[in-house]
Amino acid sequence: MSRRVGARLLHQHLHPQYPALLRLAGWSAVEAVPAFFSGLLVAQALDQGFLAGRPAVGFTWLAALGLLWVAGALGTRMVFPWLAATVEPLRDSLVSAVVRASLTRALREDRQTGGASVAQATVQVETVRTLVSGLLRTARQMLSTSVAAIGGLSVLAPLLAAAVVPFVVLALAGFVLLLRVLVRRYRAVLHYGEQIGVAATPVVEGMRDVVACAAEARAAQEVGAAIDTEAAALRSYARASALQGPLTAVGAQLPVLAALAAAPWLLTHQHLSVGQIAGSVIYLFGGLQPAIQTLINAGGMLTVNLGVVLTRLAEVCAERPQLPAAPPGSPPDRFDLTATGVSFAYSAHAEPLVRELSLHIPAGTHLAVVGPSGVGKSTLANLLAGLTPPQHGRLSLGGRAMDGIDETFLRRAIALIPQEAYVFAGRVRDNLVYLHPQATQAELDHAVGVVGLGETITRLGGYDAELPPGGGSLSPGERQLIALVRVYLSPAKIVILDEATCHLDPVAEARAENAFADRCGTLIVIAHRISSAMRAERILVMDGSDVAVGDHASLLAGNNLYAELVGYWDRSAAARSR
Amino acid sequence: MKAGGRLVRALSEFAGSDVPNDELRVSGNRLLKQSVRQAPLTAAALLLLSLGGVATTVLLPGALAGAIDAVTRGGNLTHALGTLAVLIAAGATISALDGLVGAYYGSSLTASLRHRLIRRALLLGVPGQQRFPPGDLLARLTANAGAPAGFLPLLLSAASTFLIAIGALAGLTLTDWRLAVAFALGVPPAVALVRVFVAKVSEPFVRYQELLAAVVTRLFDALRGARTIRAAGTSQQEIKRILQPLPALHATGRGVWLAQGQASWRLGLLVPILQVVVLSVGGFALTRGEITAGQLVAAGSYVAMALNALTLVDALISFLGMRVGAGRVGEVFDASPAVCPPPHPLPVPPSPLRLELRQVSVHLAGRTILDRLDLVVPPATSLAIVGRSGTGKSVLVSLLGRLLDPDEGEVLLGGVAVSRIELPALRRAVTYAFERPALLGATVHDMISYGRPEASREEVVAAAVAAQADRFIRLLPEGYDTPLVRAPLSGGELQRLGLARAILMDTPVVVLDDATSSLDTATEVKVAQALDRVLTGRTSLIVAHRRATAGRADLVAWLEAGRIRALAPHCVLWSDPAYRAVFAAEEPAGSSEHSAGQAALPVGNA
Repeated sequence: MSRRVGARLLHQHLHPQYPALLRLAGWSAVEAVPAFFSGLLVAQALDQGFLAGRPAVGFTWLAALGLLWVAGALGTRMVFPWLAATVEPLRDSLVSAVVRASLTRALREDRQTGGASVAQATVQVETVRTLVSGLLRTARQMLSTSVAAIGGLSVLAPLLAAAVVPFVVLALAGFVLLLRVLVRRYRAVLHYGEQIGVAATPVVEGMRDVVACAAEARAAQEVGAAIDTEAAALRSYARASALQGPLTAVGAQLPVLAALAAAPWLLTHQHLSVGQIAGSVIYLFGGLQPAIQTLINAGGMLTVNLGVVLTRLAEVCAERPQLPAAPPGSPPDRFDLTATGVSFAYSAHAEPLVRELSLHIPAGTHLAVVGPSGVGKSTLANLLAGLTPPQHGRLSLGGRAMDGIDETFLRRAIALIPQEAYVFAGRVRDNLVYLHPQATQAELDHAVGVVGLGETITRLGGYDAELPPGGGSLSPGERQLIALVRVYLSPAKIVILDEATCHLDPVAEARAENAFADRCGTLIVIAHRISSAMRAERILVMDGSDVAVGDHASLLAGNNLYAELVGYWDRSAAARSR
Repeated sequence: MKAGGRLVRALSEFAGSDVPNDELRVSGNRLLKQSVRQAPLTAAALLLLSLGGVATTVLLPGALAGAIDAVTRGGNLTHALGTLAVLIAAGATISALDGLVGAYYGSSLTASLRHRLIRRALLLGVPGQQRFPPGDLLARLTANAGAPAGFLPLLLSAASTFLIAIGALAGLTLTDWRLAVAFALGVPPAVALVRVFVAKVSEPFVRYQELLAAVVTRLFDALRGARTIRAAGTSQQEIKRILQPLPALHATGRGVWLAQGQASWRLGLLVPILQVVVLSVGGFALTRGEITAGQLVAAGSYVAMALNALTLVDALISFLGMRVGAGRVGEVFDASPAVCPPPHPLPVPPSPLRLELRQVSVHLAGRTILDRLDLVVPPATSLAIVGRSGTGKSVLVSLLGRLLDPDEGEVLLGGVAVSRIELPALRRAVTYAFERPALLGATVHDMISYGRPEASREEVVAAAVAAQADRFIRLLPEGYDTPLVRAPLSGGELQRLGLARAILMDTPVVVLDDATSSLDTATEVKVAQALDRVLTGRTSLIVAHRRATAGRADLVAWLEAGRIRALAPHCVLWSDPAYRAVFAAEEPAGSSEHSAGQAALPVGNA
């Protein structure tokens, strides 16, 4: 079943290239012309020339063969542009599909998963390209050579050809049967190979814990079990592929033996000449044998690999989620946020991170959210931004349910800056006007000035400096400043900073936060330092799934966790809790 | 020599691998040699099989000529066909056996390298991760460890190809020396063609790899920025941006194809033309009755066999890749562990244990973390360690269980230097709970009992109850038997599993490295009360960020600038405004820390 998925993927992306494939087949036929005539011409050269004592005639026939080889080489030359025209668009199309699918999936999933491994899919596309190229270059050539050799033989010595074909058919049929076993076992090899990584990853990443538990022996044994299973799978695959040698002998070498065994009878009864016998052997030994050998050995390996990689890619490209169409309705004209009885948990079994939260944030509010790590502050940010729907309760913007607002409108109205700032390859300017492409130079200068990116712009060499993929020499703090300026320029009415200033020093952080506080609209700061809370009008304290809201003074008096975070918890309280 | 070096560099670029540095190359060569020496019998068997393969291949055209001549000129056809049949059968058997023995040899070699690699990595321990970060180590374990397995088969197959070419030349010469001369005239142009190909293709090939990498990097960037893109609703724009290098990739790819086509058609011309030349010379000899028709056919086969030697270039490229892989495995074997087991181990003294650090210094990544630090912890005392982020609190506690050894100074456990205690015994005397415990084992039960696999379910449950984890574990789909991959855990839940694991270890010394930071205050109080009971009579070190945690300890060690600034109960220190400031404004209001000291050392963060 899974093999069919891979085949469908290949068909889907190869389909537009079928005209190119057709031309490829045409030039392949030209390429195979000398293989078709080789035995015939050598037989003529021997019978009419060299064996008849007329070497000049023999040379002429050989020269004709040489000319055909030149024509064949021209065919080879013409094959390559069409190979390129088949394979390069195939790669383009697959890369686009993989990029689209993996980005869409990453955007849909809440928690960031396997960034590196998803990016690896692009490398697997390259593997498909290499394998398809191999098939089209080697296997195609061998296939056309063997067809040409059998064709030439049936012209030269029809009876011999009739004796040879059953062997070839037998070998190829056996090969197709073997291929099914090979694919299955090779897939097992790959699967158990991945299992080594699966078993080793927690051990290698949790090295500190393994060592601290003195559990090295246990860890080595668990990874070792996966290693041994993979080795066993590899041996099982090798046992099956050892059958390829005998199959090659059946398909390519036994026909030669059979032809020679039948030759005396053919010489006497069918008036086969010496040249025809020699020409037949040239077809069998020089044309058919290497072709069958390559087809079975290399063709098998290429097909098996291609099948496996295509299946993997089909998984990556599968299920492109259809976003629900935006429901009709005019967008809200107010920007106050309201949460009513909102709860959220990672799963039905996990403790909820947010429980029964009700909250009203009027437009223009400056709110800070504080709490210990792992308590769900980022989840709250996602909920408020409308990125994650709550399992219970309701979120609304300007009095309208958030899930009923047009997605494009919502994304423009609410901006969220995560801790991990996104900087992409391109000009600094492109990075800054990402959310407001029409920004004027004056607006840009103003935003850069108030947020505090000016020095960095100077260091980089102006707005038109190119940033390499990965951000190059930018420090984590500078990346965050770029993300901050980008959102400062945006038309967003509500800005959520989710620890978006954690890599800045306290002074730079205060400057950036103040800039946003002075900007029109609502500011919600998921605080990294407690100083962020002290700048806010209102503070939300998350303590487990319990929350408290108030201003600095009231929370200091009434909330132990807040008081502790701020550091003004009096000693008597400390003594009481002991 | 110089030209050879250039060729090697061009080939390794062509193969897409980095030009390896000397150390990597030496280490790779050594490991490859070792891989042959380790299994002398198998190596000998493979060698014999290869020689057998060469013999059958070289003898086949001759046998064929004999059979053709027996048919056309009369002779013992049965004998000739018998020889041919034996050679064919032998060739098929040898190729099957060769593949099988090679695969068995390769799989066991790879498996033994991987066993060694994971054991070595565990021996290198936590300090080893500075040189070999987890992702890098995993790549060595999965991808690179497979490289040496191909070495011996590659070597033998290259040698076979070479020998077959020599044998084919000999066959030509023995048939008629003029055939060999005609062939030899065609060899120089063939070699020149191959060299032109390598030089021509390597440049667009490297460019192609760069462009492909650019797409991968852009995608990786976007995946890391997924939350921003999602929040901004700009995914279509992003897809366009990621695919921007695609047209250039397409053009470069075409360039590579066309260069390959150039070389390929010329090569495709050369082989048959050489054959035609040899056949013409042979035909002339045939006319004069100097050779037979069978020998003429055999001569054509010899030419094809001899030209097969051109594929040796492929073997060289594979060898270069193999050496890089072997070198990366060898590097791990060659690394010496920073934490060595003692030659004459001493037992752990009886508990309760007094802890002492004498003039301890630790330098990491060029920075002094601990600077001639002295500290004494009386037996059965709980000591909180406080200090601003990046002052080395995690580094300090990691010295006790020798997760890390100090550069200078001594760490004593009950008066015995920890470096003189047998490592497993030491780690059964000092246990840790971390801020972000690693998810080890298959199930929740496995995770808690990871250090004591023999622990009963009752003991595991008791530890979980003490860590306030029992309630949420019972809510999981299969309770204690829930696979970890199917257990969604919040930061606080994960920490409680880590605490349960430490409690189950039941050791005289317990280290809590920020192990309750993600708990809400109510749960933390409950955990603290349970820990009070569990820790009674034990010596404990608690890295604390919260004041309440520091307040519950018997003593507080205040760490500053690599030294202990003060050692006193929390209530005594509290009158000092500088001490109070440690807990205030500078301290993060949540989340993990982002200081250089912690980032440089994997001890603090999982």
